[in-house]
Amino acid sequence: MKKFFARAFLALILLLLYAPLIFIAISSFTESRVLGNWTGFSTKLYGNLFSGSMQGAAGSLMTAVYNTLIIALIAALVATLLGTLAAIGIFYSRGRAKNAVMFLNNIPMVNPDVITGVSLFLLFVFLGITQGYVSVILAHITFCTPYVVLNVLPKLHQMNSNTYEAALDLGATPGQALRKVMIPQLLPGMLTGFILSFTMSLDDFAVTFFTRGTIGLETLSTYIYTDARKGGLTPELRPLMTIIFIVVFALLVIINIRQERAAKKKALIK
Amino acid sequence: MKISNIFSRRSSWSLPYVVFLLLFVALPLILIMVYAFFDEGGNFTLSNLTRFFGDSDALSTFAVSIEIAIENTAICLLLGYPVAWILANKRYNRSAVTIIIFILPMWINALMRTLATADLFNMLGIPLGKGTLLFGMVYDYLPFMIYPIYNVLRRMDPSYAEAAQDLGAKPSGVFLNVTLPLSLPGITSGIMMVFMPTVSTFAISEFLTNNKIKLFGTIIQENINSSMWNYGAALSFIMLIIIGISTLLGGSGEEDAQVQGGLI
Amino acid sequence: MRRLFSFAALAALLLLGGCKTDRSTVLKVYNWSDYIDESVIEEFENWYEEQTGEKVRVIYQTFDINETMLSKIERGHEDFDVVCPSDYIIERMLKNDLLLPLSRDFGETPNYIDDNLSPYIRAQFDKIDGGDKNANDYAVGYMWGTTGILYNAKYVTDEEASTWDVIRNTNLSGRIFIKDSPRDVYSQIILYLHQKDIEEGRVTMDELMNYTCEEDLAAVEAYMKQVKPLVAGWEADFGKDQMTQELGYVNLTWSGDAVWAIEEGKTVGVDLRYVCPKEGFTVWFDGWVIPKYAQNVKAANYWINFMSRPDIVIRNVDVTGYVSVSGSPEVMDAFINEDCEPVDVSYFFGPQATAVKLDPVLYPDKATIARSTMEHDWGEHTADLVAMWNGVKGNNMNITTVIILVVAAVVVLALIVSRMKKAKSRRSSRKYIGKNARKRR
Repeated sequence: MKKFFARAFLALILLLLYAPLIFIAISSFTESRVLGNWTGFSTKLYGNLFSGSMQGAAGSLMTAVYNTLIIALIAALVATLLGTLAAIGIFYSRGRAKNAVMFLNNIPMVNPDVITGVSLFLLFVFLGITQGYVSVILAHITFCTPYVVLNVLPKLHQMNSNTYEAALDLGATPGQALRKVMIPQLLPGMLTGFILSFTMSLDDFAVTFFTRGTIGLETLSTYIYTDARKGGLTPELRPLMTIIFIVVFALLVIINIRQERAAKKKALIK
Repeated sequence: MKISNIFSRRSSWSLPYVVFLLLFVALPLILIMVYAFFDEGGNFTLSNLTRFFGDSDALSTFAVSIEIAIENTAICLLLGYPVAWILANKRYNRSAVTIIIFILPMWINALMRTLATADLFNMLGIPLGKGTLLFGMVYDYLPFMIYPIYNVLRRMDPSYAEAAQDLGAKPSGVFLNVTLPLSLPGITSGIMMVFMPTVSTFAISEFLTNNKIKLFGTIIQENINSSMWNYGAALSFIMLIIIGISTLLGGSGEEDAQVQGGLI
Repeated sequence: MRRLFSFAALAALLLLGGCKTDRSTVLKVYNWSDYIDESVIEEFENWYEEQTGEKVRVIYQTFDINETMLSKIERGHEDFDVVCPSDYIIERMLKNDLLLPLSRDFGETPNYIDDNLSPYIRAQFDKIDGGDKNANDYAVGYMWGTTGILYNAKYVTDEEASTWDVIRNTNLSGRIFIKDSPRDVYSQIILYLHQKDIEEGRVTMDELMNYTCEEDLAAVEAYMKQVKPLVAGWEADFGKDQMTQELGYVNLTWSGDAVWAIEEGKTVGVDLRYVCPKEGFTVWFDGWVIPKYAQNVKAANYWINFMSRPDIVIRNVDVTGYVSVSGSPEVMDAFINEDCEPVDVSYFFGPQATAVKLDPVLYPDKATIARSTMEHDWGEHTADLVAMWNGVKGNNMNITTVIILVVAAVVVLALIVSRMKKAKSRRSSRKYIGKNARKRR
């Protein structure tokens, strides 16, 4: 009986969480311009999305998607490199220096997006950097890297640090030791960090909004914002969101199954 | 050669990131303060901050934002805690993957989700207003409440609860005296992750209320967007103070859970 | 390591590269959202190269609030080359010396501006108070229209909609959308409140468009506070969508939005209509200007010229639903609609156009236009207007807010006190536990 209530409660919350998503997914299979009207089953919106035959507003939607992906890719890559290096450095440093870096590292995670956005906006104004692609990417690196650091650090704790020393003793250059010994052990953490950064960059609205400047750069989020303020959303957004939802779902399931497997392996070894 | 020597010490590998942090995290925050305390001519002034206390629009928006954030946090806690508890309880759920289903929606574009919610309300004929705003906010932030609490509960050593039970405590007593206090770090972390972002939300509240209610984030955005940088910075500075206070209150427990939060 | 350095160098290059672009090949246009046929932009690039032999790339940005645009230029000194503000903003920009005079020197290229501009628009621009400057030397009209009531004929009668007071009709509670534009709302409501005075000649409509007195502001604020509980939303641009979905029955809006909504309503079977209320209403104009901080003045002038070419005008009108300032016969012919009753548009297209079958929402009859006036900049009193509007719109605080905040403050204080106590006791207990405690961590 208790179990039934627990299940029912979970189901109710799930319904709450998923109703709007399911709503989008369902309405992606009809052509109606207004979200919520059903004008018969159709996959035309999906066709439009992939044929590249979209014109006007929907055409700039594809540009926005392209921008979003490029920015997310570069930001996640740089964040992963920077964050991994930083994590190694933090792991091997001690005392005040370590605390200070960790403190700074936590700030972007505690700050609400608006504050991060405004503060970076002021920075770019102050430094006189023209805002556009570069400023948005730098801003995304800023809020992504802390998560990479936090994902790589535990792997360093798990790592047997003697193997790196051993490699050096056996005549490997520091670079070789890094590539052949250390990186493979950190890779799972780096990968999680990368995927996290990538999805966070994809999802970001507030920070992009403040740092994109006036050169007309649109990402998916800012595009949706502009579109929504006008009232009608471009119908092609519906299939796009459905696809993103499925991809993200798959990515997260993969990460978590990997982690669960790793955890089980560890448990077995113990 | 010399530089590569420096880098051969592994503790210095974080140097690039430290420079980056100073430039893109520390300096921007300092700039907020600079802009907040100076006028457009570059003279020191407190007028940007005092203006806020005379600006009835900003003040009432601030008060309403805090109110909505409190309500949102409370609802998220009331709904999210049981979810986390059930999911963390081995009797009801064994798989560690189930939790993903609950946090997955937060990876979908928040604006898009919000707009879909607004359209759902429109379709159901429910007028947009404070009620729909709260619903949308809960919908947006519930995962942020569930996850940290779940994490703490799951890692909790069950032997504490068992011991209490063996010593004759009722289930409700076990929960109130053992489980709840032990899960406090998760609750604090959840509150932090819901409260601050709600206060500073912009765009979402407008979409969910047809511009009838705006939150503090919108005021900041409006000022920055109209090139009123100094006043916008002063408002951001006020946000920063609140963040500082709540971080102090939340204490170190939240830091710990955040490390976990990153591990999704 | 070398790779790291080359990466750093690349990053530095990117940063520097971001700083300078050759501005003579870029034209930054800042326009209202949804206010152009976007294919026209690319066509301009080709046309400009044909005419001048120079290449140009258009960066097209949009705004949806006049003031956002203005402050970006006035305070942010942004280098937009050509922008499209409304009448009263043109007035303010002229007064504040933010505009460059336009050049009509296009060489071989025809001057489409002066060939086509309607005499009505030219006369209205003469009324813009730019100090010692005439607005016609600094601005060229783009679109114009009226402010009025868009309504759903199923729920609102023509009779009800013919007065501004329809927005105070309690039967329509929760179905009323108001344009989120303090000046437009103030202007219409003040005309409504003073209708007797206008009829009896105590005040003219034009006089009411400037700041008159505190009492007038307070009266409009009081009126709008009665309207507020009935309002479903303050819309910037989404009102037309709400109307076609029958979520709203009445919308105080602009004629351009109305045209769009009426057309869309026809396709989904919603009978929407638009009326300029009997108490009087404002006519608005948006025009192209070149801001002081523009970097590519030549291309900006050509842009304005191109936007006045009749075939481009027709395309923009088709896409946006707004009405062009162009008085060229080509444009008039393009919009003749045999289903419409003839209207007298001689004020706009010249003396021979006394009975043309045009849509009266687009081109009001001469008699209707006689009830219209034009908004003006309020100078230093603009802040009062904004404050009035915030007083109407904002202030969602009520007694619950206060109670919740007080309770929250008490809880926070209690937490701080208990924290401090704990910290104290912890400090004293640390003495005893000493190093052992640390080790366990």
